[in-house]
Amino acid sequence: MKARRLLAAVALFGLVGCATQPAESAGAPIRLQVRADPEEAAVYRSLISAYKDAGGGDVELVTVGREDHLTRLSTAFASGDAPDVFLINYRDYPPFVQRGAVRPIGPLLEQEGISTSDYYEQPLRAFTYQDALQCMPQNISSLVVYWNRALFKQAGVAPPAAGWTWDEFVRTAQALTTGSVKGVGIDPSITRMAPFIWSRGGAIVDDENAPTRTTLHEPGARAALRAVVDLIATGATPTKDQLAAQRLDEQFMTGKVAMFLSSRVEVPALREQRGLDFDVAALPVMGAPASVLHTDAYCVASTSKNPKAAAMFIAYAVGRQGQTVTALGGRTVPSLRSVATSPAFLSPARPPASSRVFLDAIPHLRHTPVTPSWPEVEDVIGTQLQRAFEDGVPLDEVLAEIQKQADPLLRRR
Amino acid sequence: MIALSVVFLAPLIVMVLGSVQRPLQPPPDGLDLWPDPAQWSNYLAVSRFIPLARLLLNSLLLVVVAVPVTVVVTSMAGLAIVTARGGLRRGLIGVSVFMLLVPAAALWVPRVVLLRGVGLADTPLTVALLALAGTTPFYVLLFALAYSRIPVSLLEAATLEGLSPYAVWRRIALPLGRPAAVAVAALSTLYYWSTFMDPLTLVSSPGNWPVALGLRSLSEMEAALYPIYLAGAVIVTAPALLAFAIGQRSFFSAVERS
Repeated sequence: MKARRLLAAVALFGLVGCATQPAESAGAPIRLQVRADPEEAAVYRSLISAYKDAGGGDVELVTVGREDHLTRLSTAFASGDAPDVFLINYRDYPPFVQRGAVRPIGPLLEQEGISTSDYYEQPLRAFTYQDALQCMPQNISSLVVYWNRALFKQAGVAPPAAGWTWDEFVRTAQALTTGSVKGVGIDPSITRMAPFIWSRGGAIVDDENAPTRTTLHEPGARAALRAVVDLIATGATPTKDQLAAQRLDEQFMTGKVAMFLSSRVEVPALREQRGLDFDVAALPVMGAPASVLHTDAYCVASTSKNPKAAAMFIAYAVGRQGQTVTALGGRTVPSLRSVATSPAFLSPARPPASSRVFLDAIPHLRHTPVTPSWPEVEDVIGTQLQRAFEDGVPLDEVLAEIQKQADPLLRRR
Repeated sequence: MIALSVVFLAPLIVMVLGSVQRPLQPPPDGLDLWPDPAQWSNYLAVSRFIPLARLLLNSLLLVVVAVPVTVVVTSMAGLAIVTARGGLRRGLIGVSVFMLLVPAAALWVPRVVLLRGVGLADTPLTVALLALAGTTPFYVLLFALAYSRIPVSLLEAATLEGLSPYAVWRRIALPLGRPAAVAVAALSTLYYWSTFMDPLTLVSSPGNWPVALGLRSLSEMEAALYPIYLAGAVIVTAPALLAFAIGQRSFFSAVERS
């Protein structure tokens, strides 16, 4: 992943940020690149087919796997063969904007009659860079606790309640840890740790808008990370060997882990597991409630010869019909308020029954810094946290290493 | 020998057995080998996720074009190295070795820019254009090594007899370097059948992608659908194994004759 991100950065240096003159052809064919596995690709095919039925133009769909999306996007931009529209996570898009690869979407969508006030603000803010809305958010997910109803019942533990505290969470995880079952699994990454750091009153960086250094070693953040390390020390989380043998989501599917932390992205896979009875709950709080934003947005390439057609497609995809199609796929939390609160997303007929948890988290959502070097900073923090969580390296040693490696990356901007 | 075969065959056996497991089951704790009952329908399901027939055809086309071109280009380049003298020869070998040291990732962007610049990007045969550059300098060095065993006097006598450089290559070097040609053909067949990074970066339209890229996308499916991914893997591996089974007699006889 690191190599791919590095390549993405190198390739983007070759970009020439010149927006071509729009050829005002609404029905012109466009190419859409999304990061999707074959099942998710089916959702996008349905979306495109619905768009055509509604009178839209041709859309060529390019679905690329998780690992290859940025590589292909970067080489395509460098060679002037970029897709007209691409879907990208907010943590990955700033380098593209910085190199002039993205055409700000605000004015284009205004012409299509899209009012951003109908959408949740947090993802719009995350995709606002250099004072302009760059891309249009498709979803607004957040970190939640997935829990296995059967394992809770078996251990005689009460289901997680809204607003539960970190101490209650730790006690629950310990109570669930029996024999071959571990209470909880948490990936060692900054996106998993950030909500707890914020909840404890800490910060990840000195200035979220223009970060110059990391602040994970400062008291608030350190205390939150200490609490997680202490939880791991209780033996309520999978061991290094168990994590090496099977991914956390698969351990949850097979009943080896009773709870794990992730975003909405897990839902389709968990739904397919026959006999797995699961639900979602809010994150436990260490102080004030907090969660971390997960969002992807549709961007128009600055090199697109058909920005009008691209904008028309995006307007449909983020509109009521488009968001309903993607919401039914199960993987996304709609960014359009009216669809997020509709049965297409909230219906308890398909698990998780408590999908509202994702919406309840929205007022407390914060996002990690939007800055070009952030993907590399994330990699550094992830590698170091893994040493603390899985190898038992002292927390302070790891935090010092993060400062040493990540701060120069942030200052490099 | 048998023990060694078992080591190499084991992954293939696991792949085949895995391909007939029932999909949508929880991931097994260990190696759940024996399917009960075998789900042959997984093989039909593969084409529901990727346009299998089209991707296979693209790959076949790629191999049929790229492999002969690779053999011709690299064997000519190898002969050029062997017939060069003194500093030039050392220089050519040095350049080939240096090119081998360049990481593949460093070439992705320049290749796309170059091919797009000449209007040759985005066809099923775009990746085959790499064959015009010999695919990899390793094959050139392989031919150079094979040709270096031909007595210099033989090549010089042929030239004195009035044979053109092409005739020397066609009538003397290539027949004598047959084992190297067979080896390069086998290696490049495997390369073009299995490459996914080159088409990912070079070919824009999914309709022109080779089957290895389709398999790559299947590999990202959820764990519960892995039997379908493995069925795809069997389908993609089978032609390569079949080609080896058919070509092995010629391969071994060429090597033994040398």
